[in-house]
Amino acid sequence: MARFVVRRLLQSGIVLLGVTLVVFLLLQLVPGDPVRVALGTRFDPQTYEALRARAGLDQPLLQQYLSYVGRALTGDLGVSFRSGQPVTTIVLDRLPATLSLAGTAILLAVLLAVPLGVLAAVRSGTAVDHAVRVFSQFGVSVPDFWMGIMGILLFAGVLGWLPPSGYVGLTEDPARWASHVLLPAATVGLVSASILTRFIRSAVLEALAEDYVRTAEAKGLRPRVVVLRHVLRNALIPVVTVVAVQVASLLGGVIVIEVLFAWPGVGRLTYDAVQARDYPVLQGAILLVAALFLLVNLLVDLLYARLDPRITAR
Amino acid sequence: MSRSRSGVVAAALAVALAVSAGCTAGESVDVDGAGPGGSGAGGVLQAAISGEPDQLDPHKTSAYHSFQVLENVYDTLVEPDENLEMRPSLATKWTTSDDQLTWTFTLRDGVRFADGAPLTAEDVVYSYQRIITGKLNAAYRFATVKSVTAPDPATVVVALTAPTPNLLANLGGFKGVAIVQRGNVESGAITTKPVGSGPFAVAAYTSGDSITLVRNENWWGGTPKLDGVTFTFVKDPTVALQNLRGGQVHWTDNLPPQQVPALRDGDELTVESAPSSDYWYVALNQARKPYDEVAVRRAIGFALDREAITKAAKFGLATVNQTAIPKASAFHYDYAPYSHDPEQARRLLGEAGVRGLTMDLMVTSEYPETVTAAQVIAAQLKDVGVTVKIRTLDFAQWLDEQAKGNFDAFLLGWLGNIDPDEFYYAQHHSAGTFNFHKYRNPTVDRLLDQARTETDQGTRKQRYDQAAKQIVDDASYLYLYNPDVVQGWTGKVSGYRVRADRAIRFRDVSLAR
Repeated sequence: MARFVVRRLLQSGIVLLGVTLVVFLLLQLVPGDPVRVALGTRFDPQTYEALRARAGLDQPLLQQYLSYVGRALTGDLGVSFRSGQPVTTIVLDRLPATLSLAGTAILLAVLLAVPLGVLAAVRSGTAVDHAVRVFSQFGVSVPDFWMGIMGILLFAGVLGWLPPSGYVGLTEDPARWASHVLLPAATVGLVSASILTRFIRSAVLEALAEDYVRTAEAKGLRPRVVVLRHVLRNALIPVVTVVAVQVASLLGGVIVIEVLFAWPGVGRLTYDAVQARDYPVLQGAILLVAALFLLVNLLVDLLYARLDPRITAR
Repeated sequence: MSRSRSGVVAAALAVALAVSAGCTAGESVDVDGAGPGGSGAGGVLQAAISGEPDQLDPHKTSAYHSFQVLENVYDTLVEPDENLEMRPSLATKWTTSDDQLTWTFTLRDGVRFADGAPLTAEDVVYSYQRIITGKLNAAYRFATVKSVTAPDPATVVVALTAPTPNLLANLGGFKGVAIVQRGNVESGAITTKPVGSGPFAVAAYTSGDSITLVRNENWWGGTPKLDGVTFTFVKDPTVALQNLRGGQVHWTDNLPPQQVPALRDGDELTVESAPSSDYWYVALNQARKPYDEVAVRRAIGFALDREAITKAAKFGLATVNQTAIPKASAFHYDYAPYSHDPEQARRLLGEAGVRGLTMDLMVTSEYPETVTAAQVIAAQLKDVGVTVKIRTLDFAQWLDEQAKGNFDAFLLGWLGNIDPDEFYYAQHHSAGTFNFHKYRNPTVDRLLDQARTETDQGTRKQRYDQAAKQIVDDASYLYLYNPDVVQGWTGKVSGYRVRADRAIRFRDVSLAR
């Protein structure tokens, strides 16, 4: 097991290096000059050259890349073009907001999707099944920003139960954090739940057709026990992967939702960095997201081994 | 709203207020070091602005979002009043030498920075030198400045290479020329924890979320009524409006334009507007054919229906114009030769031998009104036989294309002007830094150069009028409108005034409890 983990960590390092290279090259292709954006519309050529030199953009590409990687290895991701602050600090500052939003969203999604998916599978073909499928179709097809705005208009505007936007740290004031996180997390969670529900439904349907289910039923176990003890446990293995992918993509920040709800997470940071062509911040944010993605994948593999002992043997 | 529901809301609000009041008291104690703030004072105003400052160094930022905040933190030597006339601020009086080349400013007595350190003439010299030698954004405002010296702690002498009638506007027109503190700059803290001499001081800055200001007890202008101001960054205008309605926010300048007329009529919120000194325009690339021909540019000028454009792009929240300077200014020049006349436009195009013209019109998603305006313009130009291809870019790309001259036409605004020089020189002088559409007219160059150094106000106005007429006749820019500044606040806010230069000043504002 230890060797497995070490090998996976080494692989992750190589992947991350690849990510820095791809991102660096892609940013060269993005139109728009960061120095010009930083200076706004009123500038003179001397100022322009001075800022370009300060940002190191007058160096050859290879040198820019090598010095970036060199510094990144020591944890120094450079400084923001716009604010002059260290990128590492900026990105890490934004992480708690994103983690708390993503965590709440995925929790809501799982709490909603597991019962719905199982119910739809068990009652396959009935009105309940159809209702669940309509729900999940709705969730995946309606844009999340529209759902967000509707949520704000209803729960903040008409009912006045929740604040329309804003952020309070979880450690600062848990009650106010909860009131702020509920709307954006529900918006994101609903989309994730729709996707999850479909997977759970088909995974459970598949498991229901397995021989061990017939065996269990033949033993005279009650249907509830069969579903919970036998079907669900086996159906969960593919579902874990889907949940993990959802978690990983949420950790990247739900850009539209974070912008809409004025949520100071990594997604909004990425959005602002793109707008301003703040390359160091953008690179740092993408690197962080990639690292989290790899970490989640590693954890999933470990979880797999727990759920299905046969996997460790491979 | 039903009785029972309003009860619930009221209870929820009471809890929220109690909680936020608790936080506020704690914060102000932290900042003042157990100062007397807090009890019986004016509360913290919650303001929502549409974006986040890039940084808080007034000399280095160029973002309007930074200046929204910094307006309340920094002072300049002089500052514009509500009519945009320059008034004393840090300098109480000034004299000009007979040859107009030496200006002597006397500083206000006993001005202190928010951290308690005195503000002296040395700070003024340091600030201006920093902008000039560092070639920072406002350096162009010091183009005629030969030296800045401080013969004594209360006197600043500015020596010039040429008479500069707009020197006061240059030194006080915006907070990019604010007086900063040397130690604050050298420690690097200025980008996140700036120390100014203004009515409020930055207490906390949470990246991506908010900036909190607290009252500056040392402010020379008296004690502001508010305990502080919190600026939160809310990008979506619908969300900002919901915050305002729900009372989480007291003030915003980020209202959905299509809802403004209804909001104005409602009695729930106060929504006020003022004509701004910004202008929006179409520029045609005179380095490209056939836009190098004045007849073609004039033809497009006649093809535009400015009323219709304004209605669509600004929901009527603007004043149509054909010259740059708005009516309220003393430098306004009443001239509007381009009536909406498609017949005339077709005739001019025919005379120029232009047939089946396709025009690339570059707009930016950063300013959605340019996208809407472009669609209306496309329809209007189609009417005179010009096919418009609208190219919508994000602002970074837009600026790039503009600088490369890679466009037939573009649509943008020029923001925050006070002196006529700011309306014309950079854009229409052949050596202007913003003359991306390559307009060249020796007469206009001469007029703008002369007006720059003309000290007689009457003659100066005359020169700018002549330049304005020539610019309009040449269709260097096709002016569309001066937009209104629109801001809204709740019934708790009093003492706030909307300003034509978009400066957001909370120094005289109070908040009902």
